[in-house]
Amino acid sequence: MKTRYFRYGLMTVITGLVLYLALGYGSRSFEAFCPFGGMESLWGLFTTSEFSCALGPLNLSMLVGLLILAIIAKKAFCGWACPIGFMGELLNFVSRKVWKKRPPVAPKVNGGMKLLRYVVLVLALIFTYKSGELILRGYDPFYVIFSGMGHGTVGLTSLIVLGAIIVGSFVVPMFFCRYLCPLSATFDPFSKLGLIKVVRNEDGCTNCGKCARVCPQGLEPDKAVKLSHRDCTNCFECVDSCPHKDVLTIQATY
Amino acid sequence: MKIPKLLLPILVIAGIFGGYALRTVFTKPSTAAEFQGNAVAKLECEVDGIRCKGTAGFFTSLYEMEPGIASIVTYASEHKAVIEYDPAITTPDRIRRVMEAPIPLRDGSRRQVFKCLSMNGETDFRE
Repeated sequence: MKTRYFRYGLMTVITGLVLYLALGYGSRSFEAFCPFGGMESLWGLFTTSEFSCALGPLNLSMLVGLLILAIIAKKAFCGWACPIGFMGELLNFVSRKVWKKRPPVAPKVNGGMKLLRYVVLVLALIFTYKSGELILRGYDPFYVIFSGMGHGTVGLTSLIVLGAIIVGSFVVPMFFCRYLCPLSATFDPFSKLGLIKVVRNEDGCTNCGKCARVCPQGLEPDKAVKLSHRDCTNCFECVDSCPHKDVLTIQATY
Repeated sequence: MKIPKLLLPILVIAGIFGGYALRTVFTKPSTAAEFQGNAVAKLECEVDGIRCKGTAGFFTSLYEMEPGIASIVTYASEHKAVIEYDPAITTPDRIRRVMEAPIPLRDGSRRQVFKCLSMNGETDFRE
């Protein structure tokens, strides 16, 4: 059975739980579970021993739990649990159906655009540290969607940003995750250290390129021996697509 | 060492639950204020409207002039307020009425900002 079905199953459950909290059921806000909130709370905790704005201990503990996960399994959270990643994959799926020959993004453009997520990370931290408020949450698709344009969103501007991200996801697979997600940028250095990764057996590989074509992050597992790229979410689409047995395997290795 | 594919979802779930379990290590209040009253009794309220440090501070300010209130500690992420009070001077019902009273706005109208959803996790006021 394809790994994708397990991934989509888990992501559906997690997205459903977030929606359940967002609709006001449960004793906590859905925001309290956002691990990026843990990053935003760090400065306030160091300087004033207080959490900024709506952030709380759960944000920080989720961040710690997921950083430990990243050291073991790279960005597995992004590929197996994140509701925004899930929506990105669904948009990618729809886009592939309606736009069969999407033009590939030039490697230089792709590489340059990926730096944007570090800019978003730095801006989000600076704004939060300076003001003590979550100023960028009005532009965060996770918050805008699940809060239903709630407290802290900025009206039409929030909708325009969300619309731009949706349109971008039709053009470039996983647009938000690749180019704008500050949590992805946070995980990057830990993801490099990740123990569990896809390993390619060069002798058995025919370089057919199927693995590269299905990678939602646009990586090229057929050109690596150990896929230790920081963008790899260990989704295993490449492993499932490989027509040869034991050429792409999942291993615990440095 | 080869790893089975389905170890990944187990690790992801463990990471999420591990993070959730760690939350008590980092618990800190959003605001904490002390007033004149004696701390004889304690109320734990789940309050709709405490969403951030700003709203938590505003919530606390409602009780500044209220007799019998000893302290208020708020937890914005949990929408929770812990209120210590003197039952000889005020009551849980009075405390609830203060938080739910409509607040005058700049345009002259009045609006209810906070709603007590539960007290001590036992008395549930959800409609």
